[in-house]
Amino acid sequence: MGVIGYGLGVIGAGLAIGLAAYGCATAMARQPEIQGRAFTVFIMGAAFAEALALIGFVVALVVQ
Amino acid sequence: MEAFALLPDEINKLVSEFHSIPVLGDLTMGLTQYTFWLLASTVLLLVIMAVFVKKLALVPHGTFSNLMEWGISFVKDDVCEQIIGKNWKRHFPFLATLFFFILANNVVGIIPGMKPGSGTISTTAALALVVFIYFVACGVRARGPIGYLKSLAPEGVAFPLNILIWIIELISTILRPITLAIRLFCNMFAGHIVMGSFAIMVTLFAQPLLQQLTASNVLAALPGVLFALILLVIYVIEIFVAFVQAYVFTILTAVYIQEAEEVEE
Repeated sequence: MGVIGYGLGVIGAGLAIGLAAYGCATAMARQPEIQGRAFTVFIMGAAFAEALALIGFVVALVVQ
Repeated sequence: MEAFALLPDEINKLVSEFHSIPVLGDLTMGLTQYTFWLLASTVLLLVIMAVFVKKLALVPHGTFSNLMEWGISFVKDDVCEQIIGKNWKRHFPFLATLFFFILANNVVGIIPGMKPGSGTISTTAALALVVFIYFVACGVRARGPIGYLKSLAPEGVAFPLNILIWIIELISTILRPITLAIRLFCNMFAGHIVMGSFAIMVTLFAQPLLQQLTASNVLAALPGVLFALILLVIYVIEIFVAFVQAYVFTILTAVYIQEAEEVEE
């Protein structure tokens, strides 16, 4: 059950990181000169979204 | 498909290898495998830095010097100056130490047979606690204790909502070190579990072939080639993740410091 729950939890994080990458790619295509800044923001956003998925991973490991 | 039937046992064995196992002494007093590799990577980093400092020159020559200068200027430009702004010089030593320490740990962990020092929650929790104390201390020094507590909530919010936002911000500040610790730990841990699982799949498929060389065994080992290819791809991704996680840890620290110190006009 824990594995299924973790899979469900990852859906949200996956969508979030996908959206962040979409936004980053669009911004870079429109304005190539902000590439560095956009990438930093993308990495930070992905890190925050990823933390939620990883908390789910820990919970799935701990509560069995 | 008897290879898949053997998989759960092997995976359980793999996961149990990632617990802290003492290599010297016992768990209360002694070295676990993680502490051992932590020390090894620290010594490696110290040696590299000592060699680099000896070669320090106004115009760097050679691959090694240029590589190190590139790494340091990366922390200086992309993390310190871009995020913290004008008083980046004060925080540069701390951030550069964090970055290179985590990077050395992660990269040592990638090498087969070695464990990353950052692959256990104890190490990452200690690092995150240091970061937490550091950015709270920065905030307290910039505004004073009361001023820092007040600055958690943004100014210009009407009275009753003010308190609610302050409580939410307080909780998110307390959650910061927890997420920092869990992010680094889980990325290293999960990455190594995934790599280990694929390596196990390859060996399970190849095992009959190693015992006896027959045509049917060669056919049965063919899916193993596919898994070996996937393993290679995941290995490359893990090298990338080792860099990205060191970068993310450092950049989030920089963001927290900047947020604690920033002066509102």
